[in-house]
Amino acid sequence: MSVKNVLAVALGILSAIGGFVDIGDLVFNTQAGATFGFQLLWVVVIGVLGIIVYSEMCGRVSAIAQRPVFDLVRERTGFGAGLATLIASEIVNLMTCAAEIGGVAICLQLLSGLPYRLLIPIGVVGLVLCCWVLPFRWIERVFSYLGLCLLVFAVAAIKLRPDWGQVAHGFVPGAHDGGSLTVYLYFVVGLIGAAMTPYEVYFYSSGAVEDRWGPKDLGLNRVTAMIGYGLGGLLSFALMIVAAVLFLPSGISPQFLGTPPLAAGHVVGQVGLLLALIGILFAVGGAAIETSFAGAYNVAQFFGWKWGKKERPAGAPRFTLSWLVIFALALLVVMTGLDPIKLTEYSVIFSVVALPLTYLPILVVANDHTYMGANVNGRLANVLGTLYFIVILLIAVAAIPLMVLTNGGQG
Amino acid sequence: MLEAKDLLEQSKSLQSLAAEGALLAEDGASGKTTRVFMQEHSSDLFLAASQVEATLAQAKSEQPIVVQLRKLTVLAGRVSANLELLTVASREEQRVLVGELESAARACRTIGEALS
Repeated sequence: MSVKNVLAVALGILSAIGGFVDIGDLVFNTQAGATFGFQLLWVVVIGVLGIIVYSEMCGRVSAIAQRPVFDLVRERTGFGAGLATLIASEIVNLMTCAAEIGGVAICLQLLSGLPYRLLIPIGVVGLVLCCWVLPFRWIERVFSYLGLCLLVFAVAAIKLRPDWGQVAHGFVPGAHDGGSLTVYLYFVVGLIGAAMTPYEVYFYSSGAVEDRWGPKDLGLNRVTAMIGYGLGGLLSFALMIVAAVLFLPSGISPQFLGTPPLAAGHVVGQVGLLLALIGILFAVGGAAIETSFAGAYNVAQFFGWKWGKKERPAGAPRFTLSWLVIFALALLVVMTGLDPIKLTEYSVIFSVVALPLTYLPILVVANDHTYMGANVNGRLANVLGTLYFIVILLIAVAAIPLMVLTNGGQG
Repeated sequence: MLEAKDLLEQSKSLQSLAAEGALLAEDGASGKTTRVFMQEHSSDLFLAASQVEATLAQAKSEQPIVVQLRKLTVLAGRVSANLELLTVASREEQRVLVGELESAARACRTIGEALS
């Protein structure tokens, strides 16, 4: 693979690091590992495959139709369905963006020792400046490649010398122990939801247009989706394994964003701690940018405004104003004092409820010959897409009752 | 009125905080963490333990679990004080705190087992 192609894969890595290993995954994967050990590793595989299938579809639609998915969803499904999708996705985007901003402030606090409430606006100003000043490709590169510091968790997982037989057993769904069935199911729903958060596909799709993908980039799309989200999945495995080996035996139930870096420091030392903190900072920072952009992309594409980072801020004023407003609203939400970890749990569960509204239109558009010509979904993409849509429907129905029944996974 | 189920939850929370504090103290004593991280994270753990302590101190319970409630309240005070000390502890003090917090975590587990 040439240097140019390595850099091009940054879109997938940012979507994956920012979407797959955002604050939601850090929370759900470490909590799942600390509660059920390796027993939920199979769920991460389901989530990774699901997001690869749908991201590949989104990237293909963008590359062939030269238009992002939300634009086509609005056109194909009509105003009413499009508006419902828009409202649901904007609420989830805002909640997620607020949680990520809280995560950025916590990381900065753990690195600097400055007060959390002071670091919230400082973090937001930093992110807005990055969005304003950096071209789209550099935003991808800076946040995705610095987010790769999270690979320290993979090193920690290996250094902890887990029982690899038991780890392998975790990839096979089966009976569980260590918690009630409802808590187990809550984590199943949460892990799939955290892996398939709607903003990931909207960002990926619009990012493909920003990166000017065309029919010649279909191969790059496949590689990007697989490498990017595959890497995200690897990091999720690592987080779960570390939590299973280090936290489960001593009864540690991770409630803080500082708990995963503590594990990295414990295993790898001070450098490991710093790498984990920097990796989390850029992963959640990247996710905050993704959510604000995804929200702005959706609004602009729905109403037919000029959009994109390829335009100067003044060249697409309503798009620019949209992402600024999302950042401002998210800042207000976090400044109320809501716990970012709790906010993350709620945002993941509510995003699960909104999943069918996101993924059904994508499946429909990817099968439409008018837009896709000869590049409509093949048999494999349709079988997997349909299977995943059934899974999505099931978890969307179960999400809220499970959250209530288990008191947010507490049992 | 605090029920056995609620007290079990509190014992699990306290065990988790004490065990995490022990891990942090161990890292501090062996130079695996930074001063800022030690201060900030132990401060988070201390605040959470203080909340558990406050909840338990105000709680009333039925006769069968009164003893466990009393024991856990004392334990919560101990964990909370140790975590507060951890925010400013020297390496030598951190070494002592590892043992203190580990023993508190074990005691919480014993109480939890009696309740479940």
